[in-house]
Amino acid sequence: MQILTYIGRRLIFVGPQLVGILLVTFLLLKLIPGDPAVMMLGPFATDDGLARLRTELGLDRSIVEQFGIYLWRVLHWDLGTSWQTTMPVTSDLAQRFPATLELVTLSLLLALAIGMPLGVVGARNRNGIVRKFADIYGLAAGALPDFWFGLVLIFILYTILGVVPAPLGRLDFTIIPPPDVTGSLLIDSVISGNWPALRNAAGHLLLPVLTLGLINAAPILKMTLSTMERMLEADFSRYAEMCGLPPKVVARKALRNSLPSVITIVSVLYGFLIGGAVLVEIVFSWGGAGQYAVQGVLNADLNPVLGFVLYSAILSLVIYLIVDLIYFAIDPRTR
Amino acid sequence: MTRQPQGAGALQVSADREAGNAPASGWSFFLAVLRTRPQFALGYGIVVLIVLLAIFAPLIAPFDPRQANPAAFLQKPGWPYLMGTDATGLDVFSRVIYAPRIDLTIALAGTVVSALAGSILGAIAGYYETKRGLGRMVAGFIMRSSDVVQAFPVFVFAIAVVAVLGQSLQSIVLAVAFVNAPIYLRLMRSQVLSVRRLRYVEAAYIAGTSDLGILARHVIPNAMAPVLAQLSVNIGWSILLTAGLSFIGAGVEAPTPEWGSMIAMGYQNIITGHWWPSIFPGLALALTIFGFSLVGSSVEVLADPVRRGRLAGEIRSKRVRKTAATARA
Repeated sequence: MQILTYIGRRLIFVGPQLVGILLVTFLLLKLIPGDPAVMMLGPFATDDGLARLRTELGLDRSIVEQFGIYLWRVLHWDLGTSWQTTMPVTSDLAQRFPATLELVTLSLLLALAIGMPLGVVGARNRNGIVRKFADIYGLAAGALPDFWFGLVLIFILYTILGVVPAPLGRLDFTIIPPPDVTGSLLIDSVISGNWPALRNAAGHLLLPVLTLGLINAAPILKMTLSTMERMLEADFSRYAEMCGLPPKVVARKALRNSLPSVITIVSVLYGFLIGGAVLVEIVFSWGGAGQYAVQGVLNADLNPVLGFVLYSAILSLVIYLIVDLIYFAIDPRTR
Repeated sequence: MTRQPQGAGALQVSADREAGNAPASGWSFFLAVLRTRPQFALGYGIVVLIVLLAIFAPLIAPFDPRQANPAAFLQKPGWPYLMGTDATGLDVFSRVIYAPRIDLTIALAGTVVSALAGSILGAIAGYYETKRGLGRMVAGFIMRSSDVVQAFPVFVFAIAVVAVLGQSLQSIVLAVAFVNAPIYLRLMRSQVLSVRRLRYVEAAYIAGTSDLGILARHVIPNAMAPVLAQLSVNIGWSILLTAGLSFIGAGVEAPTPEWGSMIAMGYQNIITGHWWPSIFPGLALALTIFGFSLVGSSVEVLADPVRRGRLAGEIRSKRVRKTAATARA
């Protein structure tokens, strides 16, 4: 019950926050030089045609009116049309957002699988070889540009060894995609029992997930290491040690107490990667949401960018809400 | 770790220590830190090397970084093209050395601008947050604006800033500054919130110093330390952002030697096995960021009185052991 009121109180602020974010995006994008009408009709458009299109798009009204119209449409879940794809933004994003989410989620799972164990072992044994490796890994992986690291992986695993499919999109053109249920190709192909698609999609996912996973393991590793170290030195750990509990048990209790900060860094990374994965998306021609938004900005295509910002803002709000609920679940003091 | 021969300097230092005034600052302390933490020395070495390369690029580079030789495209690394040539016949090595001129300038300028703007705004927000009237509204407005900027996907926001201002060096600097400013803003605000309750600030207030005077003379100087520590950590990330923007095509434009755009130009060639136009600039980029993050972690240690003291203690005990060993021998 307490949790429900907490969620309710959180949700009150969501609306104004979203309007603020949309307003700033809208104003920022309106400042971008470039007339959508000219871009849509091309260089041979007549003045008459341009004027008609501007009226149709509402471009001849004042900025305030335009924003009002936009907000009204957003309330009816109409995010407008992208003039590049000539499709409604909602259906474009419905296609692209799951692609980004699948990529980011799997990458962060991999990053967790690498970063947490290394951090825990490194914190328990400060002079061990694992600790040395963890320190070097944290520094080195933090310095790698992800888009370049993706290229290196392509060069080694595709060009030289040829063990992965060509880094173009999520599926080979010859493979029949599974029917769209969740948007995640892996889950959808399992649901429909489409095994060739599953294998192919997994092959396409391998390199981008490795790229983002290996690099983002670094912040998770550093966070786990430093928090774990602090928890192992905390009074409760010393007390447990003094009482003669085996080191394994002490470490398990310390780990449980370090979980909140690990979850925090994962949620921050998740929010960042929704848009931050765009460079890797471009390298692998992923067709994700970030790529869609960047194309929009570069071509004065307003609606996709607004749609993307709205979606990712909502998503990060949802993520932070989930994280807070997880805190409730793992930390009895907050209940 | 290298063993230094025992010289007059070490004896002098140990004499200092016995006299109870071991220096925890100055050159000799800095050098001792580099000796006990070789990774810091590596970081400073890399940064100095990159800066020197950038300064002396015209003397070192064997070819013009903007002048292509169309007859020699996609040459393998070797002689005279140390790192090969790209698809248009530009010498990769010359361009890799010229690139930090652009990348470092943008990253440094962007970081400095964001640190200045961010910490001034943060100081105002922190100082006026608990006061009444107009100041409080301004403080609230600053914080909410920073919330909104931080809610944006970083790259999309940076690209939008560049798109609004037009593609030029200044607008990339501004984009980098915009994206980074909230970090400094929050750091400074939290510092100021604690500093402004201290006695000397209250004393200055009672003495009749104006708000501006208190902020500029008493609050900001005493809240700067974490901002300075963040600065060097942030430069690496700014270089990465600059390169990323150029990689997408929203940053530095093509013939200008810049790591990100070089990686983008060599992107098509990697599939056909010509790895050098992309791999070398990326290595240089990674090495530079690595260097700056090592320098950053050293500054973090040195700017934190507690960790600095611990390090000084470590150095001292090492010296004691060393002098003991020489005394025995």
